[in-house]
Amino acid sequence: MSLLVAPLMVLWPAAAVAALGDGRRRPVGWAAAGVLGVAVALLGALAVRVAADGPVEVVAGGWPADVGIRLRADALGVTLALVSVAVVLAALVHGVASRQSQRLFPALMLACAVGLTGLFLTGDVFSFYVFFELAMMSAYALTALGRERRMVGSALIFAVVNLLGSVLFLIATAGLYRATGTLEMLAIADRARAVDPNTAVVIAVLYFVAFGVKLGLFPFHFWLPSVYGSAPPAVAAVLAGALANIGAYGLLRFEAGLLGRELALGAGVLVGLGSASIIYGAVQAVGRRDGREVLAYSAIGHAGYVLVALGVGGRVALSAAALFTVVNALGKTLLFLAVDLRGPMVATAFVVGAFSVAGVPPSAGFFGKAALFDAGIQAQSTATVVLLFVGGALTFVYLFQLVIYQHQFWRPHPEVRPAPASARAVVAVVAVVVLAVGLWPEPLLALSDQAGQALVGMAP
Amino acid sequence: MNLFLALVVAVLFGSGATLLLKPDLFRVVVGLMLVANAASLTMIASGLSRGQAPILPLTGGETASDPLTQAMTLTALIIGFATAALLLAMAYRVYTTHRSVDLDALSRSERSAEQELERGPAVEREETRAS
Repeated sequence: MSLLVAPLMVLWPAAAVAALGDGRRRPVGWAAAGVLGVAVALLGALAVRVAADGPVEVVAGGWPADVGIRLRADALGVTLALVSVAVVLAALVHGVASRQSQRLFPALMLACAVGLTGLFLTGDVFSFYVFFELAMMSAYALTALGRERRMVGSALIFAVVNLLGSVLFLIATAGLYRATGTLEMLAIADRARAVDPNTAVVIAVLYFVAFGVKLGLFPFHFWLPSVYGSAPPAVAAVLAGALANIGAYGLLRFEAGLLGRELALGAGVLVGLGSASIIYGAVQAVGRRDGREVLAYSAIGHAGYVLVALGVGGRVALSAAALFTVVNALGKTLLFLAVDLRGPMVATAFVVGAFSVAGVPPSAGFFGKAALFDAGIQAQSTATVVLLFVGGALTFVYLFQLVIYQHQFWRPHPEVRPAPASARAVVAVVAVVVLAVGLWPEPLLALSDQAGQALVGMAP
Repeated sequence: MNLFLALVVAVLFGSGATLLLKPDLFRVVVGLMLVANAASLTMIASGLSRGQAPILPLTGGETASDPLTQAMTLTALIIGFATAALLLAMAYRVYTTHRSVDLDALSRSERSAEQELERGPAVEREETRAS
């Protein structure tokens, strides 16, 4: 069995079996965490191989290459798959440890991991859609698991808005198939040049709206704060750290990778919307007191950075977007997991996360911000550099406000017991990972550089 | 034929979108189902071609119709069924917790929850001062 297929083959039977178990019982949760751990290890091995030897491919079912569905792991896909599944693992352990696990919680987390692994590792547009629906459906169910009134309502809005995005994706895919006659990403990138420009622009805009909704970009962000604010911390971490990657990956893969010419046409619009996203998210976050809400608006702001990098275009900017997506996912996961816990270790971890998202060395976030600045400088775009600076400054302001608010919350309270040790341990481990990536960033830098190169190579 | 299908898709999508904007939750769910079916129809219409059934071995001389769009549409329809089931379950959940399927009422209760959230820290501070 190929290393490429192995994570999927481990995860999906586990998800099916876990659906039969009662997730409120801890052994079920720990077993699911064990399976996810195996999948993370396999994806790590795959990432090492991709970094060393280049993309790995398998055609499913032993069909000839143009008939069967092609699974393909390149640097961008495998990095995001590894990070996303690792985020799901951290969130699952956190949820089980803090006894917030519900009956279907482990099974849904596993199903979400199957979807994430599949969509990042497929080379076929339609199977991307199938895996993407799998991941999103588990997310809808995960947000609706709670019994709180506010949670149920926001889960429904989340589901309706994102399903509308999925429908647009489907229509765009139908158009793309009609225009190019194939569903394979490599072949589409090849043939997209010959497509009638008007058709291609419509398809590119549809994809942009579909992924913009996923990512929570400025004009499509309205669902995001209430969902991130009301979901339990483990689910919010999955939304911010794993599912937001889908939006960024989709924009990079479909817009930059497949429809590069159309992307270049809309560069001005992308930079404009990205800037609006950055400023809107940051300004709203500065004005909020509740930790989760600050983080939700911060997610809208950070989606803007990816869009600006996409608008700047070129190899440096695209690898910066990939790198920023990864480190931002790690930082956001840490913050969402830590925001509701108490205890000294948690406070340290939260501050590490805040530093990382603000981009202070030696945390991972520094390299993401540095790469974005580098892209702005290399493109000789003063406006981009100024925008990044203003966005960065506002990020500093709201994160330090947040640390001050949290400081009150962390003060020892006689009536409130601190969170279970295992939940705090997860947060500490994620913080160590964020620091480790910051201290030894070479593997991640090499992978994101490869990713940028591949995207530019794929674009016509 | 293409124009006819395009009109049908447009009417389906339009009625779906209109229902999506209604304040009644079940209308929203039905609207979303209509929009999803409009997408399926777009997909099948985009690959419409005349020919024999695409089953091997093909008899020579005649072209086969494209099986891929049909396979894709089937998959999309199945996913659509699943989403419809999930959405209806969620709508029922909303009904059991809120005793209402009126979205205006939902957003009213959300707003009051937010106001409570904003009052929350102040009350806590008073309590700590008192103790």
